Amino acid sequence: MMQQLLAWLDHRTGIKGLMHEALFERIPGGARWRYVWGSALVFTFSLQMITGIFLLTAYSGSTQTAWESVYYIQEQMTLGWLVRGIHHFAAQAMTVLLAFHLIQIIVDGAYKAPREVNYWLGLILMQIVLGLGLTGYLLPWDQKGYYATQVSTKIMSATPLVGPALQTIAQGGNEYGHATISRFLAMHVVILPAALIGFLALHIYVFRRHGIHAKTPLKAADATFWPDQVLKDAVAALGVLAVVMGFAIFKGAELNPPADPADAFEAARPEWYFLFLFRFLKFEAVEHLGLAFGAIHFPGFLFTVLAAAPLIARVKWGHKFNVAFLWLIAGGAGLLTVMAIVEDNANDDHQMALREAERDSHRIRELAQSDTMIPVDGAVSLLRKDPFTQGPKLFAKHCAGCHRYEGHNGRGRLLMTNDPNDPATQNNPSHAKKVVAQPEATDLADFGSRDWMKAVLLDYSKHFGPLKNAQWFKDDSKAKADGKEVEFIHPDESEMAAAVNDEYAKLLSKPENADDLSAVVEFLVAQRNRASVDKIDEKLAARGQEILNGGKLKDGSEIGNQCSNCHDKLGSKFELTDSGNGYPDLAGYGSKEWLTAFLKNPGSEQFYGKKNRMPAYGDKLRSDELELLVRWMTGDYFPTHVADYASRKRELPK
Amino acid sequence: MSSHAPAPPGAEGSCADCHCSGHTPPRRGFLYKFAAGALGLLAGAIPSIAGLAFFLDPLMPKTRKAGSGTGGVVKDADGFIKMAISVEGLPNDGAPQKFTVFDDIINAWNKQPNQPIGAVWLRKINNQVIAFNVTCPHLGCAIEHRNAQGDFYCPCHTSAFALDGKKLNQIPPRDMDSLEVKVEGHDIWIKFQNFRGATSEKVVT
Repeated sequence: MMQQLLAWLDHRTGIKGLMHEALFERIPGGARWRYVWGSALVFTFSLQMITGIFLLTAYSGSTQTAWESVYYIQEQMTLGWLVRGIHHFAAQAMTVLLAFHLIQIIVDGAYKAPREVNYWLGLILMQIVLGLGLTGYLLPWDQKGYYATQVSTKIMSATPLVGPALQTIAQGGNEYGHATISRFLAMHVVILPAALIGFLALHIYVFRRHGIHAKTPLKAADATFWPDQVLKDAVAALGVLAVVMGFAIFKGAELNPPADPADAFEAARPEWYFLFLFRFLKFEAVEHLGLAFGAIHFPGFLFTVLAAAPLIARVKWGHKFNVAFLWLIAGGAGLLTVMAIVEDNANDDHQMALREAERDSHRIRELAQSDTMIPVDGAVSLLRKDPFTQGPKLFAKHCAGCHRYEGHNGRGRLLMTNDPNDPATQNNPSHAKKVVAQPEATDLADFGSRDWMKAVLLDYSKHFGPLKNAQWFKDDSKAKADGKEVEFIHPDESEMAAAVNDEYAKLLSKPENADDLSAVVEFLVAQRNRASVDKIDEKLAARGQEILNGGKLKDGSEIGNQCSNCHDKLGSKFELTDSGNGYPDLAGYGSKEWLTAFLKNPGSEQFYGKKNRMPAYGDKLRSDELELLVRWMTGDYFPTHVADYASRKRELPK
Repeated sequence: MSSHAPAPPGAEGSCADCHCSGHTPPRRGFLYKFAAGALGLLAGAIPSIAGLAFFLDPLMPKTRKAGSGTGGVVKDADGFIKMAISVEGLPNDGAPQKFTVFDDIINAWNKQPNQPIGAVWLRKINNQVIAFNVTCPHLGCAIEHRNAQGDFYCPCHTSAFALDGKKLNQIPPRDMDSLEVKVEGHDIWIKFQNFRGATSEKVVT
């Protein structure tokens, strides 16, 4: 029955002959492992087709949905992480296999006559595969893909004559937008795969015409493709699949935070197999010769020599030259790749930018999974409105010039300055040695907390000590020494310093007054109104208020009303319209309202008055920025489990 | 299938550097072929199965249901939505009034708070409120109220219904789809549901 059916089909289609042709290709010297690279590439491409088509059933290409749909694939859909993971890592595997295939072809001399055309077809296929990698990198529309691809399209614009037009066409406009995604998607899922299938068919057709280039000496009797080489190919395919799935399962395809055109990603790097080109362009000498030279002419020249290999092989030593040239390129690319990785690993700014991207990408998942989900204007709007994300960035930009946050600038980075001991700082500042800069104001990580309050009460001079590093402090001190009338905060000599150092610190640090110290701290901490974090003991706080308003301490001594003499709003309701006297209003100290009013105008009479040297941020920050900063500093945001930047206090100069 | 493979026609003559003419391919055992086929199949099956499971994701039960409270839509645990109209706002003579129903829409990764999701006809009879989904049970057009005829009428295929929702001709497969209504004080709560069209049974979609 089966035989009859087959015979019928064969009569109509000639399928038997076709199968014969396909399967019984002769392999002189028998099947060998070194012939598996081509088949492994075909398999990996099939892998990409399978996973790619499935991914396309869920991907949504626009600036408000690209990242969002990839997030949804990755985090919400059944096995989405695996399908995307395979696609992500198989793309990289393909590049590696391409390299192996090329090396095998050159080393074995399989590119030589009569196989020149097939070699050139192979090089075209290589370009298509690299094009697939490049276009696919942008599609998730995350920070990394967005900013790395910006570099690629800028390189495109350096093409002689037609560059800018080429860039505009590729982007679908002068800037990245919906059209960019649509065009890259069309390239990635239709144009390039179709071209690849076409050229692959030609490649295999021409390959079959001349048969396999057997590596001599032959080591065994001849065999056929089926089943001998197929078995080896299948084992290789499974090996590739195992490695790809290993990466997909144990590493996982990363998804950076959603692309934000307004927030440049400093750690943008191309996919690792383009790193050598990235590093090459960073050489000063290359930069000097122009982008077109480094990114187009020079690589183009190398590629031309590679393409000319079959012609070069005709002359004496030609093949040896080709092999040497290939190893030279491979070695050079390898060296540049290692250089790029080693340099990035040693670069604190780069590492911290990666750390920030990781923090943001965890945070956006948290927000996207919250009850609000993702609004229709896209995930990036969630991050833009999130104090936990934006607060540190605003702090780094506006506050970290003087203040620190756990020793860093809010974004995990140390502030650097030219080493004053390096003579280059004077003569040639751009080449001076960098050292960690001294903070010029307090560290605000624990602002308004118990620790903060205790430090103000017991250790005022040390707590505000960093002020002494500021240039204004040096100028004012000098002016004062010259006999000029200036008012400023002096950590060692101001009224508060004197009061603390001479009286309160001694009274409150007596062992028998330990409970009273806690009470005073409790009362002051209660001012910031963060019950959920601080868990205020109301009775203790009331006792603290009593002490500050004249009550006796355990040991019989009293602070009297010395605190409330200056800080005249002590413990009463805070009103923005209250008048002041240049001593900080302590009602609601550290609360959202207090901090907002303070940042708007720290020099108002209810805060530091004439003594103030901090800029007023009322007109430096937009009101929404001010709100984000204040909400971050006062912990008012959707609760997070994302690990924050590690403390860097220990790295600060002593 | 024989494993004695004659060289494919064409390959022989053009094969420039074959050292193989005259060799006979060795006969391979069943096990060898089976292994080659099975391993090849496995390599293709694994990603295909993962992809298929991914593709069938819409059939998996979803944990996330349309929530409430973020967009101003008031919805109780049983899925009743509070309408913007009060009992007093409906005419006492039982004349049907059409209202839009709002709810949060969950669209894959997006949540759009307070979006129009459909409409209902409301009637007040002896201080009791009855509600019908405006969607025609026939083929899904919107049912209108004809004041002159005193009936409900679908302009697409002329389905007609009495004001109590009973069908008046043979075009619709069933009566109008009534909805569950709760009246609490002045407030009207409606459990808004859509139903499958063109069947005599009322099946929630």
